[in-house]
Amino acid sequence: MDAAIRALAEPRRRAILELIRNRELAAGEIAAHFDVTRPAISQHLTVLREAALVTERRDGARRLYRADPAGLLGLKQFIDSLWATRLAKLKDAAEADAATHPTKGR
Amino acid sequence: MAITASHIEQEIHIQAPPEVVFSFFTDPVQHPRWIGRQAKLDPRPGGIYWCEVDDTHTVVGEYLSVEPPRRVVFTWGFAGNDDVPPGSSTVTVTLTPDSGGTHLRLVHTGLPHPAVDAHDQGWTGYLRQLAATASA
Repeated sequence: MDAAIRALAEPRRRAILELIRNRELAAGEIAAHFDVTRPAISQHLTVLREAALVTERRDGARRLYRADPAGLLGLKQFIDSLWATRLAKLKDAAEADAATHPTKGR
Repeated sequence: MAITASHIEQEIHIQAPPEVVFSFFTDPVQHPRWIGRQAKLDPRPGGIYWCEVDDTHTVVGEYLSVEPPRRVVFTWGFAGNDDVPPGSSTVTVTLTPDSGGTHLRLVHTGLPHPAVDAHDQGWTGYLRQLAATASA
Protein backbone atom coordinates (compact mmCIF):
# COMPACT_ATOMS: atom_id res chain seq x y z
CA MET A 1 0.00 0.00 0.00
CA ASP A 2 2.96 2.33 0.53
CA ALA A 3 3.69 2.28 -3.18
CA ALA A 4 0.08 3.30 -3.86
CA ILE A 5 0.24 6.17 -1.40
CA ARG A 6 3.52 7.39 -2.85
CA ALA A 7 2.11 7.11 -6.36
CA LEU A 8 -0.94 9.14 -5.36
CA ALA A 9 1.06 11.88 -3.68
CA GLU A 10 1.63 13.47 -7.09
CA PRO A 11 -1.43 15.53 -8.19
CA ARG A 12 -0.97 14.80 -11.88
CA ARG A 13 -0.98 11.07 -11.23
CA ARG A 14 -4.28 11.46 -9.41
CA ALA A 15 -5.60 13.38 -12.43
CA ILE A 16 -4.44 10.57 -14.73
CA LEU A 17 -6.23 7.99 -12.56
CA GLU A 18 -9.45 9.99 -12.70
CA LEU A 19 -9.10 10.23 -16.48
CA ILE A 20 -8.74 6.47 -16.99
CA ARG A 21 -11.02 5.45 -14.16
CA ASN A 22 -13.80 4.21 -16.44
CA ARG A 23 -12.10 3.93 -19.80
CA GLU A 24 -9.02 2.52 -21.41
CA LEU A 25 -6.72 5.02 -23.15
CA ALA A 26 -3.40 4.90 -24.99
CA ALA A 27 -0.47 6.82 -23.49
CA GLY A 28 -0.67 9.41 -26.28
CA GLU A 29 -4.36 10.02 -25.63
CA ILE A 30 -3.63 10.48 -21.93
CA ALA A 31 -0.77 12.88 -22.71
CA ALA A 32 -3.10 14.98 -24.89
CA HIS A 33 -5.08 15.87 -21.75
CA PHE A 34 -2.10 17.37 -19.98
CA ASP A 35 0.34 20.14 -20.62
CA VAL A 36 3.41 18.00 -20.06
CA THR A 37 5.74 15.97 -22.24
CA ARG A 38 4.91 12.47 -23.39
CA PRO A 39 7.93 10.97 -21.57
CA ALA A 40 6.71 12.60 -18.34
CA ILE A 41 3.32 10.92 -18.79
CA SER A 42 5.02 7.59 -19.51
CA GLN A 43 6.98 7.98 -16.29
CA HIS A 44 3.79 8.66 -14.31
CA LEU A 45 2.13 5.62 -15.90
CA THR A 46 5.09 3.43 -14.93
CA VAL A 47 4.81 4.55 -11.31
CA LEU A 48 1.05 3.92 -11.32
CA ARG A 49 1.48 0.51 -12.92
CA GLU A 50 4.16 -0.54 -10.43
CA ALA A 51 1.83 0.49 -7.62
CA ALA A 52 -0.86 -1.75 -9.16
CA LEU A 53 -3.13 1.24 -9.63
CA VAL A 54 -3.40 0.86 -13.39
CA THR A 55 -3.37 -2.07 -15.76
CA GLU A 56 -1.47 -2.03 -19.04
CA ARG A 57 -2.63 -3.93 -22.11
CA ARG A 58 -0.87 -4.20 -25.45
CA ASP A 59 -2.92 -3.79 -28.60
CA GLY A 60 -0.51 -4.15 -31.52
CA ALA A 61 2.00 -1.32 -31.19
CA ARG A 62 -0.18 0.56 -28.71
CA ARG A 63 -0.19 0.24 -24.97
CA LEU A 64 -3.53 0.88 -23.35
CA TYR A 65 -3.98 1.96 -19.76
CA ARG A 66 -6.87 1.76 -17.39
CA ALA A 67 -7.26 2.43 -13.68
CA ASP A 68 -7.49 -0.80 -11.68
CA PRO A 69 -10.00 -0.22 -8.91
CA ALA A 70 -9.23 -3.62 -7.41
CA GLY A 71 -5.62 -2.57 -6.93
CA LEU A 72 -6.61 0.62 -5.20
CA LEU A 73 -9.53 -0.38 -3.07
CA GLY A 74 -8.87 -3.98 -2.39
CA LEU A 75 -11.15 -6.39 -4.16
CA LYS A 76 -13.87 -6.35 -1.54
CA GLN A 77 -14.08 -2.61 -1.41
CA PHE A 78 -14.31 -2.62 -5.18
CA ILE A 79 -17.16 -5.15 -5.18
CA ASP A 80 -18.91 -3.37 -2.33
CA SER A 81 -18.77 -0.08 -4.16
CA LEU A 82 -19.86 -1.85 -7.37
CA TRP A 83 -23.03 -3.15 -5.66
CA ALA A 84 -23.71 0.21 -4.01
CA THR A 85 -23.60 2.16 -7.25
CA ARG A 86 -25.43 -0.53 -9.24
CA LEU A 87 -28.23 -1.03 -6.72
CA ALA A 88 -28.82 2.71 -6.77
CA LYS A 89 -29.17 2.43 -10.55
CA LEU A 90 -31.49 -0.58 -10.19
CA LYS A 91 -33.67 1.47 -7.83
CA ASP A 92 -33.97 4.25 -10.42
CA ALA A 93 -34.78 1.85 -13.27
CA ALA A 94 -37.31 -0.23 -11.28
CA GLU A 95 -39.04 2.87 -9.94
CA ALA A 96 -39.26 4.29 -13.46
CA ASP A 97 -40.89 1.01 -14.61
CA ALA A 98 -43.29 1.00 -11.67
CA ALA A 99 -44.31 4.58 -12.46
CA THR A 100 -44.99 3.64 -16.08
CA HIS A 101 -46.92 0.47 -15.21
CA PRO A 102 -48.30 1.22 -11.75
CA THR A 103 -50.66 -1.74 -11.55
CA LYS A 104 -48.57 -4.64 -12.79
CA GLY A 105 -45.09 -6.09 -12.72
CA ARG A 106 -43.22 -7.44 -15.67
CA MET B 1 -22.97 -1.19 3.15
CA ALA B 2 -21.06 -2.90 5.93
CA ILE B 3 -17.88 -4.76 5.18
CA THR B 4 -17.00 -7.68 7.42
CA ALA B 5 -14.25 -10.20 7.17
CA SER B 6 -16.17 -12.59 4.97
CA HIS B 7 -19.11 -10.93 3.29
CA ILE B 8 -20.74 -7.83 1.90
CA GLU B 9 -24.26 -6.84 2.84
CA GLN B 10 -26.35 -4.09 1.30
CA GLU B 11 -29.95 -3.02 1.67
CA ILE B 12 -32.04 -0.56 -0.29
CA HIS B 13 -35.71 0.41 -0.47
CA ILE B 14 -37.20 0.53 -3.95
CA GLN B 15 -40.59 2.08 -4.68
CA ALA B 16 -41.60 -0.68 -7.09
CA PRO B 17 -43.25 -4.07 -6.53
CA PRO B 18 -41.03 -7.15 -5.99
CA GLU B 19 -42.14 -8.56 -9.38
CA VAL B 20 -40.62 -5.56 -11.16
CA VAL B 21 -37.43 -5.60 -9.09
CA PHE B 22 -37.06 -9.35 -9.53
CA SER B 23 -37.03 -9.02 -13.33
CA PHE B 24 -33.81 -7.00 -13.11
CA PHE B 25 -32.01 -10.11 -11.86
CA THR B 26 -33.40 -12.57 -14.39
CA ASP B 27 -34.31 -10.72 -17.59
CA PRO B 28 -31.36 -10.14 -19.98
CA VAL B 29 -33.06 -7.00 -21.32
CA GLN B 30 -33.61 -5.50 -17.86
CA HIS B 31 -30.24 -6.53 -16.42
CA PRO B 32 -28.00 -4.11 -18.44
CA ARG B 33 -30.20 -1.23 -17.27
CA TRP B 34 -28.52 -1.44 -13.88
CA ILE B 35 -25.29 -3.38 -14.31
CA GLY B 36 -22.99 -4.19 -17.18
CA ARG B 37 -23.16 -3.75 -20.92
CA GLN B 38 -24.75 -7.07 -21.74
CA ALA B 39 -25.92 -10.19 -19.96
CA LYS B 40 -26.64 -13.82 -20.71
CA LEU B 41 -29.07 -15.14 -18.15
CA ASP B 42 -30.72 -18.53 -17.82
CA PRO B 43 -32.66 -18.12 -14.59
CA ARG B 44 -33.11 -21.68 -13.36
CA PRO B 45 -30.94 -23.75 -11.01
CA GLY B 46 -27.73 -24.56 -12.87
CA GLY B 47 -28.46 -21.94 -15.54
CA ILE B 48 -25.77 -19.43 -16.53
CA TYR B 49 -25.38 -15.96 -15.01
CA TRP B 50 -23.02 -14.03 -17.28
CA CYS B 51 -22.53 -10.28 -17.35
CA GLU B 52 -19.97 -8.11 -19.10
CA VAL B 53 -19.45 -5.29 -16.61
CA ASP B 54 -16.84 -3.28 -18.54
CA ASP B 55 -13.67 -3.75 -20.63
CA THR B 56 -11.84 -5.56 -17.86
CA HIS B 57 -14.52 -7.22 -15.74
CA THR B 58 -16.79 -10.02 -16.85
CA VAL B 59 -18.85 -11.76 -14.20
CA VAL B 60 -19.41 -15.49 -14.60
CA GLY B 61 -21.59 -17.64 -12.38
CA GLU B 62 -24.71 -19.74 -12.29
CA TYR B 63 -28.11 -19.56 -10.68
CA LEU B 64 -28.51 -21.73 -7.61
CA SER B 65 -32.07 -20.82 -6.70
CA VAL B 66 -34.76 -18.81 -8.49
CA GLU B 67 -37.93 -18.11 -6.49
CA PRO B 68 -39.86 -15.24 -8.10
CA PRO B 69 -40.55 -12.71 -6.85
CA ARG B 70 -38.90 -13.12 -3.45
CA ARG B 71 -35.44 -14.63 -3.68
CA VAL B 72 -32.69 -15.33 -6.19
CA VAL B 73 -29.29 -16.88 -5.49
CA PHE B 74 -26.40 -17.08 -7.94
CA THR B 75 -22.68 -17.76 -7.87
CA TRP B 76 -20.39 -14.93 -8.90
CA GLY B 77 -16.77 -14.36 -9.96
CA PHE B 78 -14.64 -12.54 -12.50
CA ALA B 79 -13.40 -14.30 -15.64
CA GLY B 80 -9.60 -14.53 -15.55
CA ASN B 81 -9.33 -13.36 -11.95
CA ASP B 82 -7.52 -15.66 -9.54
CA ASP B 83 -8.77 -13.85 -6.43
CA VAL B 84 -12.46 -14.24 -7.24
CA PRO B 85 -12.66 -16.85 -10.04
CA PRO B 86 -15.97 -17.62 -11.79
CA GLY B 87 -18.45 -19.28 -9.47
CA SER B 88 -16.32 -18.78 -6.35
CA SER B 89 -18.59 -16.47 -4.37
CA THR B 90 -22.35 -16.40 -3.83
CA VAL B 91 -24.88 -13.58 -4.10
CA THR B 92 -28.25 -13.91 -2.36
CA VAL B 93 -30.91 -11.33 -3.13
CA THR B 94 -34.04 -11.24 -0.96
CA LEU B 95 -37.03 -9.08 -1.85
CA THR B 96 -39.64 -8.27 0.78
CA PRO B 97 -42.81 -6.21 0.16
CA ASP B 98 -42.48 -3.01 2.15
CA SER B 99 -44.64 0.14 2.26
CA GLY B 100 -46.02 -0.40 -1.23
CA GLY B 101 -42.54 -1.08 -2.58
CA THR B 102 -39.74 -3.53 -2.02
CA HIS B 103 -37.03 -3.91 0.57
CA LEU B 104 -34.01 -5.40 -1.22
CA ARG B 105 -31.29 -7.15 0.73
CA LEU B 106 -28.16 -8.34 -1.07
CA VAL B 107 -25.63 -10.56 0.67
CA HIS B 108 -22.41 -11.45 -1.10
CA THR B 109 -20.52 -14.29 0.63
CA GLY B 110 -17.39 -16.32 -0.05
CA LEU B 111 -15.21 -13.35 -0.99
CA PRO B 112 -11.51 -13.41 -0.19
CA HIS B 113 -10.43 -11.45 2.85
CA PRO B 114 -9.67 -7.85 2.02
CA ALA B 115 -6.10 -6.84 1.39
CA VAL B 116 -6.92 -3.43 2.75
CA ASP B 117 -9.54 -2.59 5.34
CA ALA B 118 -11.29 0.67 4.67
CA HIS B 119 -14.76 1.96 5.39
CA ASP B 120 -14.90 4.63 2.79
CA GLN B 121 -17.39 4.03 0.03
CA GLY B 122 -16.41 4.43 -3.55
CA TRP B 123 -13.43 5.27 -5.57
CA THR B 124 -13.34 9.04 -5.38
CA GLY B 125 -13.72 9.22 -1.63
CA TYR B 126 -11.03 6.65 -1.18
CA LEU B 127 -8.73 8.45 -3.60
CA ARG B 128 -9.15 11.65 -1.63
CA GLN B 129 -8.50 9.88 1.62
CA LEU B 130 -5.31 8.33 0.27
CA ALA B 131 -4.27 11.63 -1.24
CA ALA B 132 -4.76 13.34 2.11
CA THR B 133 -2.70 10.64 3.80
CA ALA B 134 -0.05 10.95 1.15
CA SER B 135 0.25 14.73 1.43
CA ALA B 136 0.10 14.83 5.24
